[in-house]
Amino acid sequence: MSVGLDYQFLVKTFFIALSGVPTALIITIVSLLIALPLGFLLALSRINRIPVISQLARVYVSFVRGTPVIVQIFIIFTSVPLLLKPIFEEYHVKTNIYDINPIWYAFIVFSLNTTAILIEVFRSAISTVSKGQLEAAYSVGLNNVQAFRRIIIPQTLVVALPNICTATVNLIKATSLGYALSLKEINLRAQVAANVGYNYIEAYIDIFLVYLLLCSLVEYLFKLYEKRVRKYKAVDA
Amino acid sequence: MLEIKNIHKSFGKNEILKGVDLKIEKGDVVVILGPSGSGKTTLLRCINFLEQADEGQAIFGDMVVNLKSATRKQIHQIRQKTAFVFQNYNLFNNKTAIENVTEGLIIGRKVPKAEAYKIGQQALEKVGLSDKINSYPSQLSGGQQQRVGIARAIALNPDIILFDEPTSALDPELVGEVLTVMKTIAKEGTTMLVVTHEMSFAKDVANKVIFMDGGVIVEEDAPEEIFSRPKEERTQQFLKRVIPEDYIYNI
Ligand SMILES: Nc1ncnc2c1ncn2[C@@H]1O[C@H](COP(=O)(O)OP(=O)(O)OP(=O)(O)O)[C@@H](O)[C@H]1O
Ligand SMILES: [Mg+2]
Repeated sequence: MSVGLDYQFLVKTFFIALSGVPTALIITIVSLLIALPLGFLLALSRINRIPVISQLARVYVSFVRGTPVIVQIFIIFTSVPLLLKPIFEEYHVKTNIYDINPIWYAFIVFSLNTTAILIEVFRSAISTVSKGQLEAAYSVGLNNVQAFRRIIIPQTLVVALPNICTATVNLIKATSLGYALSLKEINLRAQVAANVGYNYIEAYIDIFLVYLLLCSLVEYLFKLYEKRVRKYKAVDA
Repeated sequence: MLEIKNIHKSFGKNEILKGVDLKIEKGDVVVILGPSGSGKTTLLRCINFLEQADEGQAIFGDMVVNLKSATRKQIHQIRQKTAFVFQNYNLFNNKTAIENVTEGLIIGRKVPKAEAYKIGQQALEKVGLSDKINSYPSQLSGGQQQRVGIARAIALNPDIILFDEPTSALDPELVGEVLTVMKTIAKEGTTMLVVTHEMSFAKDVANKVIFMDGGVIVEEDAPEEIFSRPKEERTQQFLKRVIPEDYIYNI
């Protein structure tokens, strides 16, 4: 038995791992689509101290931040079916709860998780855009929605972009925990391939490379976008 | 043209405005003087609904609005008739000078873009910034930013422009350029309500000076009167503090 790596397996498994990228991306995109607006609104509720919602958001953030994602996954994975069961029975839904595609659980966990992170990101970003600009917008006749859409949100996004990038990359990496949901993402696909001939080192190298490529690419795209939207900032900033 | 009746405003237990009445005719330049904390900013903000008064009325021509319980539509209408120039300029940082000036026209008033652009260009020309049309606020000096702020107000063609200490955030050497612009538009007949500590502006440009203290109007009169023959003790003390003695008698 040779000590070296099985290069043929390495290459083959690289593409197997790569085939898990769409799953990781779908989870990432769905989670962001939910977490971005929700995180923004809850951040606003925190800043404006909206009663009840603001306190709930705060508790929620501390729960999510204070627990490992893997534990959150297990909690959602075990509790959601229990919660849904009576509802399904009540409305005579024929679907077996345990046949639900695990990706739905991933959507829930990662949306909830990313929302909590983005609440804090947006909270600090919104407070960098002066309240005075909002008042100026009102005084020239813009309504609330117009003022936020045209003045506040664009500036908030620019400030928040580096942190949103970090959150997105962390999210992509966290989808590797999807194996706990038997989700056929990058990690699980490569490991399953490795099970056959115990080529774990090769599989891990492949997993490593795929995440590295994916995350680097995402970071690069964020940088490009940031450059484009930052143009109004001082040249020396 | 604009009449304010009996404005009251408290923050918590602090009563800041204790029944202020104000009457401004078309073409008036009214300057409000007063010590820090006397409620000058709060008064302007209540008129523009940036703050909701606890009591009071605004009468704009034939429009009567309750300042406490104005409807959204009324607030929008009043904001169409008034423009605000802020102490800290409050320009939209993500917009160029011309976009700052046209934003309210295009989005707030649905003026067609080309027309708004023309109005904006003229407004920027009036404040001497034709060459800065496409600059972002971060690329402008404080004085230039405040002039964009004034252009943004002019462009809306309001019945009255409210100025809240438009020069007090500026470096001393930049104050002049902003005051010059304000003088120019005053001469053109723009109705203005100006809170300022620039006594020269009050003396040279205003046709009425109001002295406020402790949430009430203590005295109001023509500038010549107020500055040379203040009637109230509080006014006298204030003027003594802000203007060197010899200056008072040299008007
Ligand atoms: N949003 C607010 N909440 C609580 N108190 C406020 C608020 N805005 C103003 N105040 C208080 O109201 C008082 C009057 O403020 P205002 O800004 O109207 O005074 P001013 O005459 O404009 O003073 P200055 O010359 O310093 O600008 C101050 O004591 C201030 O602390
Ligand atoms: Mg003030």
